[in-house]
Amino acid sequence: MKYESQGIAKLYFIAAIALFVGQILFGVTMGLQYVMGDFLFPEIPFNVARMVHTNLLIVWLLFGFMGSAYYLVPEEAERELFSPILAKVMFWIFLVAGALTILGYLLVPYARLAELTMNDLLPTMGREFLEQPTITKIGIVIVALAFIFNIGMTVLTGRKTVINLVLLTGLVGLAVFFLFSFYNPDNLVLDKYFWWFVVHLWVEGVWELIMASLLAYVLIKVTGVDREVIEKWLYIIIAMALISGLVGTGHHFFWIGTPDYWQWLGSIFSALEPIPFFMMTLFAFNVVNKRRRDHPNKAAVLWALGTAVMAFLGAGVWGFLHTLAPVNFYTHGTQITAAHGHMAFYGAYVMVVLTMISYSMPLMRGQKAANVNAQKHEIRSFWIMTISMVIITLMLTAAGIMQVYLQRYSADPLPFMVVQDRLAHFYWAREVAGLAFLYGLFLYIYSFFAKGPEVADVE
Amino acid sequence: MRETFTKGMARNIYYGGAVFFFLVLIGLTVDTVKRLPATDNRENLTEQVAEGKRLWEVNNCIGCHTLLGEGAYFAPELANVYTRFGESTEAIKAFIKYRPVDGIEGRRSMPQFNLSDEELEDLAQFLKYVDGIKAARDWPPNIQG
Amino acid sequence: MNSYDTQLKQATISSLFSLLNLTVLPVIGFIFLLLLYKKTEANNIDHYYAVLGIKTNLLAGVALLLVSALMIVLGGFNSVWTWVFVISYFVFVHAMFILFATWTMVRSWTGKELTKSFLSK
Repeated sequence: MKYESQGIAKLYFIAAIALFVGQILFGVTMGLQYVMGDFLFPEIPFNVARMVHTNLLIVWLLFGFMGSAYYLVPEEAERELFSPILAKVMFWIFLVAGALTILGYLLVPYARLAELTMNDLLPTMGREFLEQPTITKIGIVIVALAFIFNIGMTVLTGRKTVINLVLLTGLVGLAVFFLFSFYNPDNLVLDKYFWWFVVHLWVEGVWELIMASLLAYVLIKVTGVDREVIEKWLYIIIAMALISGLVGTGHHFFWIGTPDYWQWLGSIFSALEPIPFFMMTLFAFNVVNKRRRDHPNKAAVLWALGTAVMAFLGAGVWGFLHTLAPVNFYTHGTQITAAHGHMAFYGAYVMVVLTMISYSMPLMRGQKAANVNAQKHEIRSFWIMTISMVIITLMLTAAGIMQVYLQRYSADPLPFMVVQDRLAHFYWAREVAGLAFLYGLFLYIYSFFAKGPEVADVE
Repeated sequence: MRETFTKGMARNIYYGGAVFFFLVLIGLTVDTVKRLPATDNRENLTEQVAEGKRLWEVNNCIGCHTLLGEGAYFAPELANVYTRFGESTEAIKAFIKYRPVDGIEGRRSMPQFNLSDEELEDLAQFLKYVDGIKAARDWPPNIQG
Repeated sequence: MNSYDTQLKQATISSLFSLLNLTVLPVIGFIFLLLLYKKTEANNIDHYYAVLGIKTNLLAGVALLLVSALMIVLGGFNSVWTWVFVISYFVFVHAMFILFATWTMVRSWTGKELTKSFLSK
């Protein structure tokens, strides 16, 4: 760790992992509610567990992105962070605001939370992933602005590398597109259209810039590959991400009351969206193959490769599965969607944050890499979490196929609840895999405390 | 990668591609918004329907249900529930009104929201309005949603 | 006998066509692979990758087409379980083949053969 202020990332990463645990606890709760329908009802109905699960995911990933930026930007910009104190203050503000919001979801009926937080002044609550009270959303904007100011000033007054600039662009994009969450028209079609300007342009847009830049950074560090090579690849990857993903937003505009031409435009452009993920896989495999050093942090190398592969599978392959309009007509809003969503988020965003943590935590603790024993546990946790996620996804895919066949495609379609009963064994299998995932996460956390012989410092 | 394809070229493709397709997205958005009146059922978007949408939001119905395929996958699609319930707002109101407080044992349960009769009417009118939105190919594929 | 540089280039082209046959150019990709194979000599890197490409795609043909067809015939075209198995199986196995072919293509760029662990040099 070359600059002292990089150490601020540690705070953000610890919060990220703690919130990740919370996310998965509520995830396995929902998995159980799928098969034991009244589990924890009425104290924690399904929708409450769900908003806690999804909001925790988003917030912990944001903590992860911020921590990653605080770690890598000073090093890339070759100067200390512009204002370490601002970063620390914002950390606590974001954490407390986030915690209060989650407690609000759990302790008070949602309609009452809306009243208490004066939602009527500017109603933004009650949409998927955007359940936060309006005041929380305003808080998020303030935190994001402070963060971008801090990182922005550091980059602008320091060395401007391609990695720095792509990361900054992604983060600014994240903040700008979040503003669409304040637009909530009475017209449902307009509401849905612009909702995707937050969600799609985040996860299939600017977040890909963030992911690609973080991955590029770690790969330079662990393989010693030439920066020029990586920078060229990075430009190509993000170019393909935006060229495919911007108009690719149209794959959300098939059936919501928008014009028919979206079926063509959305299908064609979104069919290209796997390309940047495919390139990231090529890129990661290639630089590891041609590496000039064997970095002692083998876990970080594995996380980096795993990120590229799982993002390609989850976002690319599983996304492609249901992106063409003729297929999507039958699969829209089914377990196929859930299958893709889980593997895509895990592969692209969860794993890239875990890659950054894996790489930087030892350095922030004064070591080149975690000890041999710790890495062994970390690598095992990688496999357990990743394989569990693959199983979750396969079970939901199978459930989705059956659901589509019985409820959507059949000449004699069955009602939703009847079909859900038929899917029970898939949901049970998914729950077991979910518990295995939770175990993998606990093992991952344990790896940070495991003692053992130090790694040989081979360059 | 051959040296004929330089970093500078890659950067230009990124800048050019991003700006160009962002402008295309904006153009398509303007066009879509202009065409919406033909399909979005706004002629039935009354004050009452708007109130119903607000109730839909503050009770987080999307947390269990899908609406035009978007939302959670725990409970049925509601864009066509008006049709599915025999084009009856009374049937919709009754269903919501008579949810048992402690749920149904062993089954996925819907909360009792304690809505007033006026609120129930608003919400039912909202769902009727959604049913009137002309989704492409008349999505969902069938009555079950 | 081709120079090493030509062999290396041929090896990378073979592995590319192996991947193309699995994705956007089925059958045509395989024909190209066979043509490339005929130009190689044993013990060279271009031969290794041409053979690897052919073997991979023959295996994929059996695993993806034959097995899927068997599942449909044995399970019945109109059975929901047939489609649950066939679609899940096809997507997963196809994705695994694509990943493998991608890995071998990248490996061919280094001029080396595959090894047991990709983390070893």
